[in-house]
Amino acid sequence: MVRRYRFYIFLFVLLCANLFFVHRTFSQNHQNSVADTVQNSPILDHAVMCEEVTDKDPINPAVVFSIKIGKVSCFSVFDPVPEKTFVYHKWFHKDNPSTNKRLTVQPPRWATYSSIQLRETDKGPWRVEISDRKGNLLHILRFSITD
Amino acid sequence: MSFFASIRWQDIIDILLNSYILFRLYVLFKETYVFRVLTGLALLWIFQRIAVFFGLILTSWVLQGITAVAALIIIIVFRNEIRSVLQAKNLKAILWGFPQKIVPTTIQIIVDSVNALSKRHTGALIVLPAKEDLKDMVHSGIPLRGLVSKEMLTSIFWGDNPVHDGAAIIEGDRIAEVGVILPLSYRSDLPSHYGTRHRAAFGLAETTDALIVIVSEETGKVLVAKDSNIEEIHGDTDLIKILQEHMGVYEEENGYQQKENFKISIAAIVSVFFITGMWFSFSKGLDSLITLEIPAEYTKRDPRFEIVNASVHTVRLDLAGSGALIKSIQPDQVQVKLDLGNAVVGQNIFSITQENIALPPGIFLRKVVPSVIEVTLDETIKREIPVQIDWVGELPKGLVLSEIFFDPEKIEVIGGKRILENLSTIYTEKVHLESMKTSGTMFANLALTPAALKIAPGSKDKIRIAYVIKPRIE
Repeated sequence: MVRRYRFYIFLFVLLCANLFFVHRTFSQNHQNSVADTVQNSPILDHAVMCEEVTDKDPINPAVVFSIKIGKVSCFSVFDPVPEKTFVYHKWFHKDNPSTNKRLTVQPPRWATYSSIQLRETDKGPWRVEISDRKGNLLHILRFSITD
Repeated sequence: MSFFASIRWQDIIDILLNSYILFRLYVLFKETYVFRVLTGLALLWIFQRIAVFFGLILTSWVLQGITAVAALIIIIVFRNEIRSVLQAKNLKAILWGFPQKIVPTTIQIIVDSVNALSKRHTGALIVLPAKEDLKDMVHSGIPLRGLVSKEMLTSIFWGDNPVHDGAAIIEGDRIAEVGVILPLSYRSDLPSHYGTRHRAAFGLAETTDALIVIVSEETGKVLVAKDSNIEEIHGDTDLIKILQEHMGVYEEENGYQQKENFKISIAAIVSVFFITGMWFSFSKGLDSLITLEIPAEYTKRDPRFEIVNASVHTVRLDLAGSGALIKSIQPDQVQVKLDLGNAVVGQNIFSITQENIALPPGIFLRKVVPSVIEVTLDETIKREIPVQIDWVGELPKGLVLSEIFFDPEKIEVIGGKRILENLSTIYTEKVHLESMKTSGTMFANLALTPAALKIAPGSKDKIRIAYVIKPRIE
């Protein structure tokens, strides 16, 4: 009886072994890919909204800015930065996208900022979403432009 | 034909009910002063309408004033009569009964009077003429023309009354003459105990068709003389029967009843015609138009869904009806209701038809604008959304609002799935900066937009803000 089906049992075992190895290989690749993503993403150290950036330092970090100052900046520091990549500063005014700035960051540590010029119509609540090159959201800064 | 088709069964009940009320008012108040005054008021009202129709401004104004005041006066002046009608009768009598007029007839009064005279042995001679004129046969009568009453008859034949020896002639319901001298009979076959009173009765009975009732002073017996006969009466029934036969009252009473029934029937018909006329003048005549903006109401909405958008919130209705009804429309009497029982998530289109609109009786729909409403429904979900403070104004010069910490940072909100999936921030109400000179804490309310959103039970509806103020670096 066993002898009769020996060939088919052998084929079945072979197929299962094949499936096991394929699955294992795929899992390893996937894990490596996730690890690569985490490893290669820059880590946001801190971020603030400020009136201006002078000598890589944010001036008057705040959550409310007068329209009279004419400009507002989003300052972000990444540490560590494993490899040269870029990040995004997405600006939203009252939940509507205003601008999306792509900023390059380089190892081992990098500070970067983006700014917008203020107009009378820009009064109101704002937010800046900082995300990595793959769109992973790293941080949200909320502020207001007032009189 | 279409005109009659527009009459509803409610309208027929309306007319019949009010006709019956008017008819009952007639039945209850007929032959009273109240009814006469009411009739006068109705005439005044009719004249006033005619005056309005012909454009007689002052006349219609004056009549309207009088009618309004008279209606008030009638209630005050006739309050006792109205009360007696409404209180003295039971409910059945008010709703169904026909009050019978209980007025003693002339015959009954004569019989009662004769009985009283007979008991007291007071002699009396009462003449009831038939068709023949008695003027040539009698004399010395004193005209009285007073209504027949028991008191009057007994006092006429009272012994100390100067006219008690004569006869009293009763014509209809009145005592025409008293102290009348009747011709004496010269018959020799009369019983010897018959006195002058009996002979006088015979004398008139023989020569005319009159009936004479005699009360014997000696025996108290009652006799009736007619033609050549004299008959002793032994009971009220006999006397009543003889008097009825003589006066032909059977026919008269039947005639009276028929007349009453005729009057009641006429009153019923007039009531129906009058109310029908009024109903038509109120509900069909003088078409007036009105346009109303009515908010659309939604019913039978699945509690899992909510209305996130509607193409319109109010519906314009062009309504028609008589001037009086149009003027009396209250906004809450008109409703536009849409059944969301079969509505689904997403856009739903509803046609507004007559079935969706509730109108007071007598008011008709001419036009609906818009005739279609688009309603967007969404599934209700719960979602946690970040909060952001909505600062306004200007900080005092030289200061910077450098940091804030607020609690809670996120709020759980209930609302439509489509709205909440696209909503990234819940803002507070405007928070003013002018008074912020040093660091501190404050509270701010949430401004939920759109208004359909609700804060989930258990979530805070106020945000506590701790803020840090620093000097500005120039």
